[in-house]
Amino acid sequence: MLLEVEGLTTAYGGLIAISDISIAVAPGEIVAVAGANGAGKSTLLKSIAGMERPRAGHVRFDGQGIESLPAHEITARGLAYVPENKRLFPRLSVADNLRLGSYLHRHRADREAPLEQVFALFPRLRERLAQRAGTLSGGEQQMLAISRALMTRPRLLMLDEPSQGIMPKLVDEIFQAVTTIRATGVTVLIVEQRLAESLEIADRAYVLQTGRVSLAGTAAEVRDNPEVRRAYLGI
Amino acid sequence: MTTQALLQVLASGLLMGLLYALIAVGLSLIFGLMDVVNFAHGDFLMVAMYAAFGLWFFTGLDPLLAAPLVTGLLFVLGALAYLGVVRFAMRARSNAGMVQIFATFGLAITIQGLAQFLFTPDYRSIGQSWLGERTINLGGLFLPLPQVYGGVVSVLTFAALYLLMSRTDFGKALEATREDQGAVALVGIDRNRVFALGWGLGAALVGLAGAVLAIFYYVHPQVGGPFSTIAYVVVALGGFGSIFGALVAGVIVGLIEALATTILPPALKSIGIYSLYLAVVFLRPRGLFGRL
Repeated sequence: MLLEVEGLTTAYGGLIAISDISIAVAPGEIVAVAGANGAGKSTLLKSIAGMERPRAGHVRFDGQGIESLPAHEITARGLAYVPENKRLFPRLSVADNLRLGSYLHRHRADREAPLEQVFALFPRLRERLAQRAGTLSGGEQQMLAISRALMTRPRLLMLDEPSQGIMPKLVDEIFQAVTTIRATGVTVLIVEQRLAESLEIADRAYVLQTGRVSLAGTAAEVRDNPEVRRAYLGI
Repeated sequence: MTTQALLQVLASGLLMGLLYALIAVGLSLIFGLMDVVNFAHGDFLMVAMYAAFGLWFFTGLDPLLAAPLVTGLLFVLGALAYLGVVRFAMRARSNAGMVQIFATFGLAITIQGLAQFLFTPDYRSIGQSWLGERTINLGGLFLPLPQVYGGVVSVLTFAALYLLMSRTDFGKALEATREDQGAVALVGIDRNRVFALGWGLGAALVGLAGAVLAIFYYVHPQVGGPFSTIAYVVVALGGFGSIFGALVAGVIVGLIEALATTILPPALKSIGIYSLYLAVVFLRPRGLFGRL
């Protein structure tokens, strides 16, 4: 397993956001985490990425415990995280945001190598290089956030609600990009409210309910689960 | 006043203003980076002046050659101030702003107290140096060489700072950290390291200014006071966090001070700067180039 999460519990103040969550992601997989608002999806990703400190449990990346590492070291290990609010550097140009993405590789001659892949995925970013990141549309900002994460050369890419606040045409483009990214050998853990779309591209899925894993299985199993069909797919 | 005399006043004001800009820019840099006002900024200047004086007094090293050493020393002092004091103040769960103010204020009092204890309150000055006491005749304007040197150092430093901020990875990391200090970890940047280096850089800049100032100004434990007050005016006028603003505002403050000194009785000479400060606060609180 590339990522193993075991008994992870995270609380804000006294409020438990996720409780005793265990998930695993194998190399080359796309794994989706679904669930309603407030189910703890974002907290799960934040806790893995080191942006929140879990109260209990373990996170192993490539066999090594990372739950007590600072967030920047987790990025350096090859685990990139695109948060829900993207956290771009809005006053800096698109080019600077991408360049900062390759900061970890600044001493390498082929520092900008992933840029080719980025422009192949999102050609419109090339036209926006000189523009300030804050002036991009929601969809373009999401593309830039994913691209900045790719510039860190991750082995695992974690995406939090990449389809949020984006016009429908671009949503397809983003989901398409995720499958392309996986094809280049990057494992993907994606959190989504759009369950139907994410099950289409995912190999396996976990469903969270009030901070716990309520269902786990292959994408097909989750899609066919009567509870999921009623509650999330509206069928 | 003759044109010649006016030009003389303006030239002196310009040179002093460039030095004010160099004194102030580190304060602005640190504030822009992490929203912390360093109340020990003037005391960093004082330490730098004592360092330049000490090197001259004990080893005979001319302040011109001592400048890189003093700058390096202050870099270390600044980084240590962050790692040893400010870093902990930033962890305050509540009232963080106040905690930070008192932390740097406490640092200021500690540094001043140590200087009083170690160096006594006596006024000291570098007696003989390569540039000290000399003047240069520029087209009829007689300018003290140390101030000319200070102006040149300041302009070159601002140029270097501009290149550092716009062309280097460290500069981009600083920019990114001031944009969103929580997000830099997403690209693998350790914000604590950036903060420590930022404090080092801010202190190194005021250290360089101190090494210049020590050539023609008395050194004593309270010497930082008036200069840090001017630095706050410069930073407020230029815009908190703006590097370019500090340069422009430093020059404006230097010119106004020089003119006020000529027009007003000596006892009132500071009034020009402080009325300017009040005008900024009332009319344009974010300063000339501020982004608040």
